[in-house]
Amino acid sequence: MNSSKLRRSIICWLALSPVVVVTIFPFAVMLISALKPSTEVLTPTWWPSRIAWENFQTMWVATNFGNALKNSLYVSVLATLGSLIVSIPAAYALTRFDFKGREFYRQFLLVTQMLSPIVLVVGLFRLMVSLGLIDSINAVTVVYAAFNIAFSVWMLQSYFATIPLDLEEAAWMEGAGRAKTLVKVFLPLAVPAMVVTAIFTFINAWNEFVIALTLLRSQDSYTLPIQIFSLVSGRYTVEWHHVMAATFAATIPVAIAFAWLQRYLVRGLALGAVK
Amino acid sequence: MTSKRVVAPYVLILPSFVLAALIVIWPVNELAQIASHSVNRFGQLRDFVGMANFRALLDDPNFIASLWRTGIWTVAVVGGAVICSVPVALVLNEDFYGRDLARVIVMLPWAVSLTMTAIVWRWALSGESGMLNSALLEFGIIDQNIQWLAEASTAFPMQILIGILVTIPFTVTIILGGLSSIPDDLYEAAALEGAGRWEQFRHITLPLITPFLNIALVLNTIYVFNSFPIIWAMTQGGPANSTDILVTYLYKVGFRLGKLGEASAVSLVMFGILLVFTLIYVRLTTSREVKA
Repeated sequence: MNSSKLRRSIICWLALSPVVVVTIFPFAVMLISALKPSTEVLTPTWWPSRIAWENFQTMWVATNFGNALKNSLYVSVLATLGSLIVSIPAAYALTRFDFKGREFYRQFLLVTQMLSPIVLVVGLFRLMVSLGLIDSINAVTVVYAAFNIAFSVWMLQSYFATIPLDLEEAAWMEGAGRAKTLVKVFLPLAVPAMVVTAIFTFINAWNEFVIALTLLRSQDSYTLPIQIFSLVSGRYTVEWHHVMAATFAATIPVAIAFAWLQRYLVRGLALGAVK
Repeated sequence: MTSKRVVAPYVLILPSFVLAALIVIWPVNELAQIASHSVNRFGQLRDFVGMANFRALLDDPNFIASLWRTGIWTVAVVGGAVICSVPVALVLNEDFYGRDLARVIVMLPWAVSLTMTAIVWRWALSGESGMLNSALLEFGIIDQNIQWLAEASTAFPMQILIGILVTIPFTVTIILGGLSSIPDDLYEAAALEGAGRWEQFRHITLPLITPFLNIALVLNTIYVFNSFPIIWAMTQGGPANSTDILVTYLYKVGFRLGKLGEASAVSLVMFGILLVFTLIYVRLTTSREVKA
């Protein structure tokens, strides 16, 4: 019995090996290049002669990493909160009320999901110019929050729908009002869904590129993807060991959070997608 | 009490509606304004020019080339990703040692920003010091360095492969959702009837995951059609515009050349195409609801 599982495991891993190799490859390139001494970066060998941890220190200063990290955290945290604050009531309304215009609202969300930032970037640019908000990270924050609403409502709603109505009904029977039931019964049960949604929104905002590239104009307001992109675009010499160290430092925390949470995504998205 | 119940849902959806309408829908109106006017590079409108910006696009061979290339890009990436994802999802749905680890590895590209992925690949594909060349040389697959990104004939296929790689996680996720909805007893019954593995796949698995595949196809088409960072961070559409797709063309025309009017026209063309994809998606999902 066990040996058959072992055999199956070997076959499964063999079948997956091409995907695994191609997936791991960029991570290996990133880590190895980040740890090569600066004199060896341009030599096309795989292994460094020694591990140059100091690259991370010099990268931090040379790439202005701290400031970009601060901006990225600011934008991503506030965009996540903003998006959640408006999405939670909307998702609640969609799961617990039957109202006229419900279908319209869902389709409205679908359209906002379909319109990616890149398609709208010229219009957004003009909007922000007319409001005098070019180079404002607060404006970028609001844009991120808005673009994540559809995804957040979708995810939250698919989880909210799994919370049984009985508990709330029991609370109503005992005379608790709708608002009190919401706060005391429903929201505590919904916390896991909110946490998962928040983290995915955070990752989306953390990784966003084209809005930041268009609206942020000065080094001081760059987020991490733009800061790192600015290190490689339009330059004659690129300090690749710094770029790879910065990429690594910007990627790994998010990748770990994602690895831990991806199982919830399978459930949430699959539920939401076919509902 | 009843009136409160009637108003409540609208109050609850209002903030999200306003925010999304302001940031996501309002710019469409802006785009229509810009596309139909002569405009300076900061978006100040001058004269109404009707369809002139659209005509200028049709006269630009780069636009036509980008349009075609977008078709190739979207079909190749989405098709490739779905073809690769079905077997990957089938394997990940098996019970085997280390399955959780395998799932994490397959999902990993999803967590990384496309910009970062593209920058890492740009470095890995570099002709002289790139690690892909040194790995391929080591294994004797090539005997001299390939300048991957120096011309479109190697750069574009590479970008497509990377596009496939980063699209696999989402696709696998959707297919896994479909696979988990198939009850085990169906397979047991089929096995009793003497159906082999391939027949089980063809007659049970495939029909039952088809709705999920359709959704993955349409959603991926929307995402890939809009995908900007991979091509922008690797080649910026170069060399000589030979890897431009609509989104990079749009960005170049709008923010490099400062022709916001033509860029808005491209946006509206894309908007029209996306609307068609969305309608297909709505048809697919609602026809499922009717069946269920």
